[in-house]
Amino acid sequence: MQNQAHKLYGELGALARFVDQAMKAISAACPQIMSSSAQLPAAASHLSDLSKMTEEGTLEVMRLTEMIQDNHGSIAKELSGIVEVLRAMDCATLAGRLGNVTSVLAQDGKCLTEIMTALSFQDLVAQRVKKLVAILDEVQAKLMELIVVFGLQESCEATRDAGTAGYLLKQLEESKTTAMKQKVADDILAQFGFK
Amino acid sequence: MPADPNMKILVVDDMVTMRRIVKNILKQLGFANVEEAENGQEALQKLRADTYGFIVSDWNMPVMTGIDMLRAIRADEKLKTTPVLMVTAEAQQSNLVEAVKAGVSNYIVKPFTAETLQEKIAKIFK
Repeated sequence: MQNQAHKLYGELGALARFVDQAMKAISAACPQIMSSSAQLPAAASHLSDLSKMTEEGTLEVMRLTEMIQDNHGSIAKELSGIVEVLRAMDCATLAGRLGNVTSVLAQDGKCLTEIMTALSFQDLVAQRVKKLVAILDEVQAKLMELIVVFGLQESCEATRDAGTAGYLLKQLEESKTTAMKQKVADDILAQFGFK
Repeated sequence: MPADPNMKILVVDDMVTMRRIVKNILKQLGFANVEEAENGQEALQKLRADTYGFIVSDWNMPVMTGIDMLRAIRADEKLKTTPVLMVTAEAQQSNLVEAVKAGVSNYIVKPFTAETLQEKIAKIFK
């Protein structure tokens, strides 16, 4: 009986030491956990911005492609009319040459359609970004749980911006307000005599 | 019976870029009467208010997904025979099986070409 109690105390002691070590290990990881937790929403926001930027670029390429497609349509119509007139005037050679131009336009039309379909990459990128943002949200929620459960918040408040990730995110954040538009650059250059 | 070039087509996708791509290809294929909806719910409202000959829909959409919209269409007496072409990045076999069970008319995996869309339309309306 005494032996069993002794063994039990021994095991309880080992368990207490293990819990103590685990707590120390978590405390040591505290700055990284706090820092990562604080940075995840910003990282998610940058990912969403990325999606928005690709969408804007894609829409502009689409606008220009559609404009060229419409112009091609008008030119093809005009050419067809001219070919008819030339044929009526017995100018078969000229009509034939214009017919060749029409063929080239049709080939271009196919390329333009391929450009449009290739732009579907934006949709695929946006879907993956959405999934990544959802994962980041979940990871952040789990980290927050860890912080609350182990009461890490007060002990590591000062270490929020630590690490390379923090530095890179800071740079990304700054680029939102400091990124220069060409017109601004030209205005500044103009002040120094560049034309 | 080949597809009627004058039929009204509804393109359903939450991404504006994708709607524009599908609309553009349809225009090149001779279908100029194309309308858009951002999700399944908006599409159902439009489908119930007007007559459409063909629906091209994405799978993943907020509010109401493409597969839920498809089930609603097949359960609706007025809409149940309208052909639905699913255009999606969900290339998993289980998704395709689910779509077939729900009554999809055909299925295109993104990214796709104009030829693929043309071929699928031809198969649906043959």
